[in-house]
Amino acid sequence: MSISAILLVIIAVWSLNTGVYDFGGTPAFEVLGKMMKGDPGLSLSDRYVVWEVRAARIVMAILIGSMLAVSGTSLQGLFKNPLATGDLIGLTSGATLLAAVTIVLGGHFKQYLPEAVQFSLVGIAAFIGSFLSMLLVYRISTSGGKTNVVMMLLSGVAITAIGFSITGFLIYISKDDQLRDLTFWNLGSLAAATWTKNIILAVVLIISYLILLPKGKALNAMMLGERDAQHLGINVERLKKQIIIITALMIGSCVAFSGTIGFVGLIVPYILRLLFKSDYAFILPLSAICGSILLLTADTFSRSIVEPSELPVGILTALMGGPIFIAILIKSKKSLS
Amino acid sequence: MIRAHQITYKHKEFHILDAVDVHLEYGELLAIVGPNGAGKSSLLSVLANEVKSKQPVFFKDRPITDWAVQELSRHKAKFSQHNSNDIPLEVKDVVMMGRYPYFDAQPRKEDLEAMNIMMYETDVFHLKDREYNTLSGGEKQRVHLSRVLAQLQNEIAHKLLFLDEPLNNLDVKHQYKALETIKKFTREANSAIVVLHDLNLAAQYADKILLMKSGRVAAYGTPEEVFTAENISSAYNFPCTICEHPVTRNPMIIFG
Repeated sequence: MSISAILLVIIAVWSLNTGVYDFGGTPAFEVLGKMMKGDPGLSLSDRYVVWEVRAARIVMAILIGSMLAVSGTSLQGLFKNPLATGDLIGLTSGATLLAAVTIVLGGHFKQYLPEAVQFSLVGIAAFIGSFLSMLLVYRISTSGGKTNVVMMLLSGVAITAIGFSITGFLIYISKDDQLRDLTFWNLGSLAAATWTKNIILAVVLIISYLILLPKGKALNAMMLGERDAQHLGINVERLKKQIIIITALMIGSCVAFSGTIGFVGLIVPYILRLLFKSDYAFILPLSAICGSILLLTADTFSRSIVEPSELPVGILTALMGGPIFIAILIKSKKSLS
Repeated sequence: MIRAHQITYKHKEFHILDAVDVHLEYGELLAIVGPNGAGKSSLLSVLANEVKSKQPVFFKDRPITDWAVQELSRHKAKFSQHNSNDIPLEVKDVVMMGRYPYFDAQPRKEDLEAMNIMMYETDVFHLKDREYNTLSGGEKQRVHLSRVLAQLQNEIAHKLLFLDEPLNNLDVKHQYKALETIKKFTREANSAIVVLHDLNLAAQYADKILLMKSGRVAAYGTPEEVFTAENISSAYNFPCTICEHPVTRNPMIIFG
């Protein structure tokens, strides 16, 4: 646990030092240190790049990577299957769909809403989208406490297909600036990081983790089946509701601010299960840190390997996640058929 | 300990349980026996608060639905018939789940002690570092027995254990050992309700027998009262002879 936390700090420093902008020979880390001390000798552009661009982006990668990984781990506990993650069962598509609808059609009804809602309209829409998809998938795939994995994945495919077609239609009818926003959502990127967004994400993260991270034991007990978990003193109905709402909230806010960054929720728990065992009391908090490590590393690579341009980070995570998806499929070949 | 009057439970207009009365004293071991589909497991589910019936079940003189789930878990535990086959954890982690009602993040010393004692008791201690998924059916049964026993290791007086066919897949030695362990538990003023298939084992260990047929109580009382040739032949629809066990003096049932 503490080793992974130290690793995260090291990667964050490396990430801060990586980039096209040149600080006149001094490492970016020192520039940040100077800024913290309020050094007046610091140029405005140095200050801007190190704080508003790089530091903000790093913090956003940490927050979003962490939430995506934790949402994946909790969903896997709820569905009792390592393939349950936000993107595979369609939560991400649901969130993207409603976010896209809001971007393109939002202008028509925006003025009727209170100001606070207007400001965070896309975020709220993304949350509702992932929440509705979650309810739909859960209803279709789970009956009597047992999840049908094939149904779960297929309902994810269905939701993704619906999302894809409607988003495609919206792209067709949208104006130029809306189109740019939509493309951003579909590819997934952390380039639009700002401190305001980070504060909102941090609030969501803290609330979610206060409720979700102590649930490791309860998720273990769910492996026995819902009735036996109940006999161990776990309020199963409340636990399920909490996981459904909180994961929808986390995935919704991640999609609203960074678009579709896939597979983080699949890769992180998979690796942790390989390295340790499936004890949720252990891997749930650990996935919070390892998710950050994964996304921050991927994002630093994505903005440095094709300098001065950058790759969408979703390409890198999908490149890692795809093979792992196949590996899990091969491993569970028997139980799925 | 537990009282329920005229329990009726239906599934799609089909009576699974029809006006069943159950009464259990402190320190009593009640065996529920009967042919397949008689409603034994359903009765156990209703009594253990897994499914709701219209008639209240009183646990320690309070309706069982009024108990907080967390508190109830220290007073009663249930061993289920269909245990999960896929738990990607080690045996000791599965047994430790029985201690979940007692600790927050890290198991305390008494939790580890309870876990170890019960693993010895059910003869799974030597398996403690094995992957649960690699065990045989009988070994898995013993791991879960160990888990529910560990769950009731506490200072509370008069605890209740529900066991749904705990002897499935167990070899002869472990069948007797498991019943000895359950008997020892009830000698400390605790109670147990056990669904059993082996009538001779039921006669030997149980204080009271509840014989069921088609969702109704066919006979209730001590083994001597219930295990008559007439009762058993009519419940199981199969001829049988009753004689006295040469050693234990309990009724001995010979079918055929």
